[in-house]
Amino acid sequence: MASDMSLAGRRRVQLALLLTPVSLFFAVFFLGPLTIMIVTSFLAPGLYGGVEWVFYPHNYGRILGFADPAFEVFDPVYLSIFLRSLKIAAFTVIATLFVCYPAAFCIARLSERWKNFCLFLITLPFFTSLIVRLFIWVLILRQTGIVNEALLAGGIIDRPLELIYTDGAIVLGMVYIFIPFMFMPVYASVEKLDWTLVRASLDLGAGPIRTFVRIILPLTAPGIAGGAIIVFIPALGNFVVPAVLGGAKVMMLGNLIEQQFLSARNWPFGSALAMMVMSVMLVLLFIYVVASGRRGADVMN
Amino acid sequence: MKIARFLFRGSLFAYTALFFAFIYIPLVLIGVYSFNANPVNMMTWTGFTTQWYAQVLGFKTTISENALYIESTDQLVQAVWNSLIIAGSTTVIATVLGTAVAIALYRFAFFGKRFYRTVMFMPMLMPDIVLGIALLIFFVNSGIALGLTTIIIGQCTFLISYVFIVVSARLAGMDRTLENASADLGANEWVTFRKVVFPQLLPGIVGGALLAFIISMDDLVITYFIAGVDVTTLPMFIFAMLRRGIKPEINAIAVMMLSFSFVVASLGLYLRSRQK
Repeated sequence: MASDMSLAGRRRVQLALLLTPVSLFFAVFFLGPLTIMIVTSFLAPGLYGGVEWVFYPHNYGRILGFADPAFEVFDPVYLSIFLRSLKIAAFTVIATLFVCYPAAFCIARLSERWKNFCLFLITLPFFTSLIVRLFIWVLILRQTGIVNEALLAGGIIDRPLELIYTDGAIVLGMVYIFIPFMFMPVYASVEKLDWTLVRASLDLGAGPIRTFVRIILPLTAPGIAGGAIIVFIPALGNFVVPAVLGGAKVMMLGNLIEQQFLSARNWPFGSALAMMVMSVMLVLLFIYVVASGRRGADVMN
Repeated sequence: MKIARFLFRGSLFAYTALFFAFIYIPLVLIGVYSFNANPVNMMTWTGFTTQWYAQVLGFKTTISENALYIESTDQLVQAVWNSLIIAGSTTVIATVLGTAVAIALYRFAFFGKRFYRTVMFMPMLMPDIVLGIALLIFFVNSGIALGLTTIIIGQCTFLISYVFIVVSARLAGMDRTLENASADLGANEWVTFRKVVFPQLLPGIVGGALLAFIISMDDLVITYFIAGVDVTTLPMFIFAMLRRGIKPEINAIAVMMLSFSFVVASLGLYLRSRQK
């Protein structure tokens, strides 16, 4: 009975009760699937959509330049989609930062009441349907959309502009949905900023630009880095935004992966593409952890 | 110098106003245009109507057939039902499991604690599409038929993490002296948990559950890959509509969805601000 058990024994039982269900769940439905995906990415695609159990590095080769010689010549099309996705994700990060950074300074200096209200307004869209928020941009940007109708009616243009189905439309859509992701970490570091240092720098004769570059920017860098990572990762593998705002013309990694799974049925190749997304994520996280670790060490010294 | 500072302040305010305009004008626009009577071009205003709402809600309308997507609202209602069933189940499972891990990591020191913490954060950082296809390969290989069950399991993998984080934050801010006081006054562990810890923890659990519910209702990518052919959720339904071409009814659906999540989210955030 429980009362006979030692305290340590009882605690061990409690811990086991709390952790066993989750451990099983994660082992089977999270780590398991990831392992299987990694294995699949090294297997040969079967004839009718299945896999063949032989080691086959050419799934990665198709992307990186050592395609299966028996099957095809290397075509850099996949590499260019990969690079293009990196580019779009990078632009998204930069644009989101430009949108959020100045606003964070303004909101950080408001009174408590207004501050909370503004933060509420910024987080609210995060809880609303992502697909609906993207759909609104279709209405705004398409040929018969609000922007084109307004410009036509105003006589500024005489033919509708091609706004939707472009790289720019994808970046715009991503910026719109990722604003809260960037704003929160940036805001956290802006709010902690020690303004006496800024004043000291100004008093000692450094100009506003120099103060910004030497004091404000380094002090808010952790927030910027954090925001950049949590925007970059979902932007890189995103497939909803390019599917809705990029049309058939603009292909990103996400669409390519979807295609491999749901229409081309080349699962090993699709897995290899997903692994590319994952390795970029791991590299970024590694850099972030090392950099913030060094920063912490600097502060200690 | 004073004028320069004034100008700088002013432009910063103007910038922030534009920032909020960028976020909210699109939402206002869709609200306005969902009452537009024009069945051909949704963005050219021809008059006020509530017909689109009536149509979506299944009332009789005079809208001509070719302006419509869904001949009946059956598909839409089915999608909403599926989403609610999934969100309900995942919320219960994720809340129980996520809270359990949070409590375990808070109260006990044990080997592998850091590993658990890392694993709990991984599903949130993982790009949706990677998790989606990993689960798809897993379910197909293990012979589990794709459908409601696989969606519920799949969504739980990342919803547990969200609940874990919200509940952990609550635990970290809790007053441990109360627990000690309760123990000193002779309450056993179970009574202390029920009467002291749990009531303090409850806002965190409710917050985590609400978050899980909303995210589950909204999940598209992971659900899309593991839904199979028979099950459609609300976000999948809208996604499919967008791919086929847009008809005005979708405005009304969008506005109703936005209003629903606004109400739930405001309620959640309000409750949280009261608890502090």
